[in-house]
Amino acid sequence: MVSSTNTTIVNERPHHTLWGDAWIRLRRNKLAMAGGIFIIVLTLAAIFAPLITPYSFAHQDLNAILENPSSKHWLGTDGLGRDVFARLLYGARTSLAVGIFAQLIVIGIGLPIGAVAGYAGGRLDNALMRFVDVMYGFPDLLLVILLKAILGGGIYQLFLAIGLVAWVNIARLIRGQILAIKSREFVSAAHAMGGMGPYITWRHLLPNSLGPIIVSITFNIPRAIFTEAALSFIGIGVRPPTPSWGTMISDGYAVIFASWYQVFFPALAIALLMIAFTFLGDGLRDALDPKMRR
Amino acid sequence: MAEIIIEVNNLAKYFPVTRGLFHQKKIADVKAVDGVSFAIHNGETLGLVGESGCGKTTLGRCILQLIRPTSGEVIFEGRDLCELSDKELVPVRKKLQVIFQDPYDSLDPRFTAMDIIGEPLRIHNIFKGTEYRDRVAELMNLVGLAPYMAERYPHEFSGGQRQRLGVARALALQPQFIMCDEPISALDVSIQAQIINLLDDLQQKFGVAYLFISHDLSVVRHISDRVIVMYLGKVMEISNRDELYKNPLHPYTQALLSAVPIPDPAVEINRAVIVLKGEVPSPMNPPSGCVFHPRCYRAFADCPKVVPLLADAGDSHQVACLLYETSRP
Amino acid sequence: MTALLEVRNVKTYFYTQDGVVKAVDGVSFNVNRGETIALVGESGCGKTVSALSILRLVAEPAGKIVSGEIIFNGIDLLKLSNEEMRKMRGAKISIIFQEPLTSLNPVLTIGRQISEGLEFHKNMSVREGMQEATRLLQMVGIPHPERRVHDFPHQFSGGMRQRAMIAIAIACQPQLIIADEPTTVVDVTIQAQLLELIRNITKELNTALILITHNLGIVARYAQRVFVMYAGDIVEHGKALDVYHTPFHPYTAGLLGSVPRLDEPRKTRLQPIEGQPPDLIALPAGCSFQARCAYAIPECHKEKPPLLEISPSHFAACWVSQKGSRSWQK
Repeated sequence: MVSSTNTTIVNERPHHTLWGDAWIRLRRNKLAMAGGIFIIVLTLAAIFAPLITPYSFAHQDLNAILENPSSKHWLGTDGLGRDVFARLLYGARTSLAVGIFAQLIVIGIGLPIGAVAGYAGGRLDNALMRFVDVMYGFPDLLLVILLKAILGGGIYQLFLAIGLVAWVNIARLIRGQILAIKSREFVSAAHAMGGMGPYITWRHLLPNSLGPIIVSITFNIPRAIFTEAALSFIGIGVRPPTPSWGTMISDGYAVIFASWYQVFFPALAIALLMIAFTFLGDGLRDALDPKMRR
Repeated sequence: MAEIIIEVNNLAKYFPVTRGLFHQKKIADVKAVDGVSFAIHNGETLGLVGESGCGKTTLGRCILQLIRPTSGEVIFEGRDLCELSDKELVPVRKKLQVIFQDPYDSLDPRFTAMDIIGEPLRIHNIFKGTEYRDRVAELMNLVGLAPYMAERYPHEFSGGQRQRLGVARALALQPQFIMCDEPISALDVSIQAQIINLLDDLQQKFGVAYLFISHDLSVVRHISDRVIVMYLGKVMEISNRDELYKNPLHPYTQALLSAVPIPDPAVEINRAVIVLKGEVPSPMNPPSGCVFHPRCYRAFADCPKVVPLLADAGDSHQVACLLYETSRP
Repeated sequence: MTALLEVRNVKTYFYTQDGVVKAVDGVSFNVNRGETIALVGESGCGKTVSALSILRLVAEPAGKIVSGEIIFNGIDLLKLSNEEMRKMRGAKISIIFQEPLTSLNPVLTIGRQISEGLEFHKNMSVREGMQEATRLLQMVGIPHPERRVHDFPHQFSGGMRQRAMIAIAIACQPQLIIADEPTTVVDVTIQAQLLELIRNITKELNTALILITHNLGIVARYAQRVFVMYAGDIVEHGKALDVYHTPFHPYTAGLLGSVPRLDEPRKTRLQPIEGQPPDLIALPAGCSFQARCAYAIPECHKEKPPLLEISPSHFAACWVSQKGSRSWQK
């Protein structure tokens, strides 16, 4: 009764798990890999900053202000005699921290709301989405500024402010994903087996939505980084002495004609980090797209 | 005949069509299933045929309460399934299972074969550890898949193999009844025969009853014990398989059978086909009286006026057609 | 009399990241004037790609007609320029696709889509084109054609859209129509309507028809000659009656044996072909059907059999068949 020819796999191509398959495709993307490596190197440099530079980000040497790059100060010094390279490295900590922690808040709020709206449907979905629509009506940056002004404080409040504004994107994204996946037959199958809402959402709907969510987060991080830099630039981001690329730019702006690299290096750092995340995000989107896998 | 396990009484499913900007107002109903009654016996295969829009898929889903019917009853184990809540249905679902049409869409692409087949076991907390793995391996063997493939993902299987995974999954809890919703329509012809034989063998082995929904009349004739013919949400004819194909009474059944070309040029060269006129009407606006009358080549004056009832026309042969109605109570 | 269309040894390959897919691997067939032939096979056998190759609709650069000749009315279509080929499509050779929903333009009226070809090939004005479109809609059995000609595709039902596609296909009175699975997406009663319509029209206009399908019943009813395809090759061809009654290739026999028939007493068990179709990127050496063939002999694994003559009108590509033992024939 049982035919042996049905026990052969139809394509004798190497077996990969789904993540393994995505990883192979990501590896082929040179730009994404370059971006990823840059982020990793910068993160390591930021973590091990004390081992890389002898200077602290706050140490002022008033005898050596606005010096050009030299063997003593690789990127020179700023208006208060602080080593620019050191400030750049420690500033990276701030930028990366904001990028990542703000996303945790975004996921923490946006994911449950989007998932519930998508699965429940009906009036609950309507209510939640109208709320999301209202929040969408406000310009992001202004809302963050408003929240930060209300919350006051330093970097933790900044995570919160950015997170509380950015979650709407993820919520909408997840809701859309879940609506699309809800109608697929394997969800009916799970229902027919006796699976109830929370089980189906947790085991079927969310895992299948992961791809676009991961990509969205990867694109959200540079936006958060830029927001922090912008807020710090206008003075309501992180508080000194916490180093920040944004603050460096605003400080350097005052002396831009005397020493242009005060502005240049932090601006370049922001640009490179954002580009790196964008390349990585593009690569992840292609790698995780199920349609491209045969 | 074996005892009845599922009784469907006057089942109906209407989908409201709404219009309106702020307040959705109902303007019409799509009568997908419009008053269907029949019974399924232990261990039998009941074939359900009809063309698109006849409601057969909706009917199948209503029986399993995957879609909640608008009215009517589905009696199983002495209880009306329509009255049970989702939670109360969970233990019942162990005995009523489904095989879906699309082997590509009915399996979660992120689950391995073992996850897929074992999911019913996990949901109902049956078996753990080695017992679980053994049961999955046993099921894979039953459907003709090698157990070493348990760690593979659906995209690594062919269409026919994926459908076998679906069958194994449906069997996992040893159900009494499996609703097969066009289980072979998406497969190649040579693979269809494999799956049909498999379903046949499993029925002989385990005595499971099937509701076999299909638009393919030749396949339904092969696998079914009894056959129901549906059109636009209503039952046109029910009969034993042999009787239906030898002696179809309803004009629609006759046209349906005539429309299927036989794979033999010698036969086809002389065979005339009953070509129905017109298209299948929209279920939103079904014709009055007998829903088939606009396309019926034997319609007469009363047909647009009277709705024919399903009446006996021989040994377990019922037909809903005024041509056979001798008298009205 | 020479054939209207002669396809000689055409090879169409697709170049993918995983390897070369030999979708059509040396296929030859011909169609005579006014004749209906069928290309029959399961998914992946190459029948659709063969049809697309005739009209040079294979998507480049991934797909390429690598070699072969396609002689239509004495001209090799593969040697024509793009401009010359465009004059052929719709005018001399037209195609009916499987899925009318995606092959019709949703933003043009049905009338305009029919008259498009007339305007391009026959230099008609829009008004003349629409008049002719109305006549064609009548011919394909659409009621109230003068009204429907101004409707959009979404206002037509599935069966009527397919009729509109037939109208587009016959508009310029082509000599050859290719119908690629024209009734797969419609119900069986609509299928009967459409196929009877196509047969009547091709008879009336004396148009040749290449019917591409996996449905053995349709082939039996409507085709005079049959070409059975498997994994990119033609494995058997001949007159429909011969191929169905005395199949010389185990695959043909297997296909016929695995389909339940309404007119025969009910078998207790179907005879399926075991296994599944091969991966077109990694075909085995020798006959492509060997893995699923119950009759394979050592030669089958070494060399791919060419089409061998059984009678002047019946050929099969099978070593075993040549040896004389054809135990699969009834």
